[in-house]
Amino acid sequence: MAKYAIIVDLDRCSGCMTCVIACKQENLTRPTVWWNKILELEDENLDRITYVRHACMHCEDPPCLAACSHAAIFRRPDGIVLIDHEKCLGDADCADACPYGAIDINPAAEYFPDQQLPFEEDTEPHRQHPPGKAGTCTLCVHRIEAGQEPLCVESCTAKAMIFGDLDDPDSLIHKKLGKSIPLLAAEGTHPKVRYICSDNLLKEIETRLRKNPKMAR
Amino acid sequence: MAGSNRSYQMDVKNSAAGEQAVGYTFCDGCNQAPFCGIKFFKTGNIVTRIESWPGFPAAPLCTKAYGTLQRLYHPNRLKYPLKRVSPKGALTPDFVRISWDETYDIIVGHLNRIKKEYGPQAAFFYVGDPKEPRAAVQRLAATYGSVNYGTESSTACRRAALLAELLTYGFSTLGNLPTQKTGVVLIWGTNPAYSGRPFMCHGQLADAKENGVKFIVVDPRKTPTAATLADIHLRPRPATTAALAAGIMHVIFKEELHDRAFCEKWIHGIEELRNYVQDFAPDRVEKITWVPAEQITAAARLYATNGPGGMLLGPQGTIHDLNATNNHRAILMIPAICGYIDIPDGITKPTEPLEGMAPWFDGPPDFSMRAKFNEMKSDRLDRKVFPAWAEKFWEVQTNHLVEWVKSGKIKAFLAWGFSTMIWPQTHEYQQAIASLEFSMAVDYFYRPWTHDYVDLVLPAAMNFERLAPFAVFGRQIFGRTPVKPIGECKEDWQIALEIGTRLGYPEIFFNGDVEAACNDILAMWGLTYDDLKKNQEKGVTVPPRGPEIFKKYETGKLRLDGKVGFETPSGKIEAVSLVLKKHGYPALCEYKEPMATTRKFPLVLISGSRVPYITHSKWRQDSPWLFELQRQALLTINPQDAANRNIEKNDAVILKTPWGQMTVTAKPTILMPAGIVGVEHGWQDANVNELIPRQFDPISGFPPFKEIICEVVKKEHA
Repeated sequence: MAKYAIIVDLDRCSGCMTCVIACKQENLTRPTVWWNKILELEDENLDRITYVRHACMHCEDPPCLAACSHAAIFRRPDGIVLIDHEKCLGDADCADACPYGAIDINPAAEYFPDQQLPFEEDTEPHRQHPPGKAGTCTLCVHRIEAGQEPLCVESCTAKAMIFGDLDDPDSLIHKKLGKSIPLLAAEGTHPKVRYICSDNLLKEIETRLRKNPKMAR
Repeated sequence: MAGSNRSYQMDVKNSAAGEQAVGYTFCDGCNQAPFCGIKFFKTGNIVTRIESWPGFPAAPLCTKAYGTLQRLYHPNRLKYPLKRVSPKGALTPDFVRISWDETYDIIVGHLNRIKKEYGPQAAFFYVGDPKEPRAAVQRLAATYGSVNYGTESSTACRRAALLAELLTYGFSTLGNLPTQKTGVVLIWGTNPAYSGRPFMCHGQLADAKENGVKFIVVDPRKTPTAATLADIHLRPRPATTAALAAGIMHVIFKEELHDRAFCEKWIHGIEELRNYVQDFAPDRVEKITWVPAEQITAAARLYATNGPGGMLLGPQGTIHDLNATNNHRAILMIPAICGYIDIPDGITKPTEPLEGMAPWFDGPPDFSMRAKFNEMKSDRLDRKVFPAWAEKFWEVQTNHLVEWVKSGKIKAFLAWGFSTMIWPQTHEYQQAIASLEFSMAVDYFYRPWTHDYVDLVLPAAMNFERLAPFAVFGRQIFGRTPVKPIGECKEDWQIALEIGTRLGYPEIFFNGDVEAACNDILAMWGLTYDDLKKNQEKGVTVPPRGPEIFKKYETGKLRLDGKVGFETPSGKIEAVSLVLKKHGYPALCEYKEPMATTRKFPLVLISGSRVPYITHSKWRQDSPWLFELQRQALLTINPQDAANRNIEKNDAVILKTPWGQMTVTAKPTILMPAGIVGVEHGWQDANVNELIPRQFDPISGFPPFKEIICEVVKKEHA
């Protein structure tokens, strides 16, 4: 069985926000909800600016899944963590449990109030986000099922993201795995989105993440 | 709703892509041309989703391209022609909807009247953003009989750099991407990670770095390009470009690292240049430019000893100051003295550009009636004030528009995609345009800072709705497959062709048929638009007549007349420009001390640098997805400069120059070095160009957007 993962190379990420908007366009999330985010991290002492692409980690041991009392969150055999909107009651225990701040409760807001744009009308289920339900990155499971990569990965202008199957020993991601490290390893979540970056940068990101899990810019 | 009775995130099968028709177009987001390729999916006439066009030469897409989907269906789009019924510049402008018939009657009525009363040169034709209609509008201007045609490029973008290239090398180049064998690349005044030059190439540059290519990045700002690529990052004081270049050349000459044979044979004025840069020892250059002397030396050695060397220069980062042309010329001399010009893996010039075409974004010369423009040259409004410019370009330098309107030389202004905020002291241009007898603007949205001052606003079809122009990359040609425009929108080309037709030239303007106009151009290569449609995704390649060759200056393949050498008056690369000398300008690429800071204005302002999700003013609000990322103008300031002024993140601050002031939101960041602040251009409520004086580089006529002294103070709330 496949085990899908992403490695983000922070030596390449330029903070160009293409993943952020490509995802918006692909998934049509509501205002103030970004499934892909870019954190700008500045270290004055080291005179260094780093851009960190951040999204759902599709953890092997997702705390959101355990926290949901309605069994609305499930992990597919290929490791993709999804939310079942039929069961979700929107009480946000998952969002509170996620140390990465990757889950939002869908707001009711729309980009054009009371006005659906033509491509929003009768659109595919993955592009609909009922208000009050929890939402998070689906790893573009609809694209993966169609044999494509998640759009954030495919669209990355810096070629900073590698998507692949960790169980495939010939895959590029498998080869790069040893160079990559997880965020907040101490949480025991075993995230399948990992980063290529120095240890001290990792600590900086983690500090920022603990302070502000929503990773607001 | 499909998601109401099922768990939609599980419902994968229904979401899989497929069953939709596909289409192809280009993104006009950066006003880059040719544009990046979009593959879109549609249901009926509705575009539903977009991706990068597989295999397209300009790729991948960035935020702006994805934003064009939301822009297409923005409820505020202009959908039919509007005629003003209130005085121009009124606080609440009033427009009424009119038919296209009435629109054309008004335009043609004014054009015929103006031609009769003042002569055709009194009508000024302008193409801003997007560049796409340039060919069609030039044809219109020429046929009508006006040589006075200008563009945003001939106002503030690209052309000054191009002028420097033509004066110095005799051909157009901003450099090119490194190859596997390139040793070192000089990136100066551009941030390819964010702005498309040559397109979103950051991934390829990062690959090159992994392959061992060295990078020298020259930029005052700590851009992602500098942060992720630079082996050496030089951060000069704005507008000191020629001094820094002289410092680098000083070291190269002093240590005998230059290509002596090339310099002696192929550089005109090499001795003058050598003598000139002798005064620019790194210690002195450090004082002028703020770049540490040892970094200047290190950069010079790295560049000169790791050939073949390349370069990537910006279309505008180095040409927004009062010494724009010679500053940019000074940069160009660095690879020249190293002998990196037109060699494999260095700075290359295509051997076989597509016949009858180059450069694409200017419009093919025959179709654009360049010969007619040349015949009318003596009527050019800019001929006396910018003579070197007028010698090299057929586009009029527009920055003196205010004077020409005031003196009655211009009576009408016909514009496609135009923004008054491009000009310094914007209000003077707004007033000038408002005072004209007739003006019209073609656009996607009503933009008050421009359209409040014109008589007619015409609704333009957007990228997904346009057939023209097709795209040309090297010898590859690509067409597009438009959907039907919404409302009564028409594509830029169609509007130009229909005006021409109604002026009485139906044959010249193909009776308004856009595809027929494209076919007229495509006939140069024995093609029609149908051929492009048949080869939609892969495009059509016109085979070259021969292989790519280098050092063409040795074989007579660089010059139109077939003589050996470069396409300059001396036949050499010109450190001393004979064209500049002829017109009485400083002919050597000399340094000129920028505006001096004062106690009252101790900082230097860089305006107009880009964030990745905005190019021009149009992008501020056209797509809420992008606007949501940033809703206001940000002033970037070094944290120490901010702390000294008691300024914190998100504080409202006042940015002042000797010419004006405005309120912006502060963002302290190490992006900016101490002493330099940055602010974006094109925010209606914080239009930085009102803070820039109407002073111009005497050669190119470009404004000093990146030189002005300023101060920032915290705005105290009552």
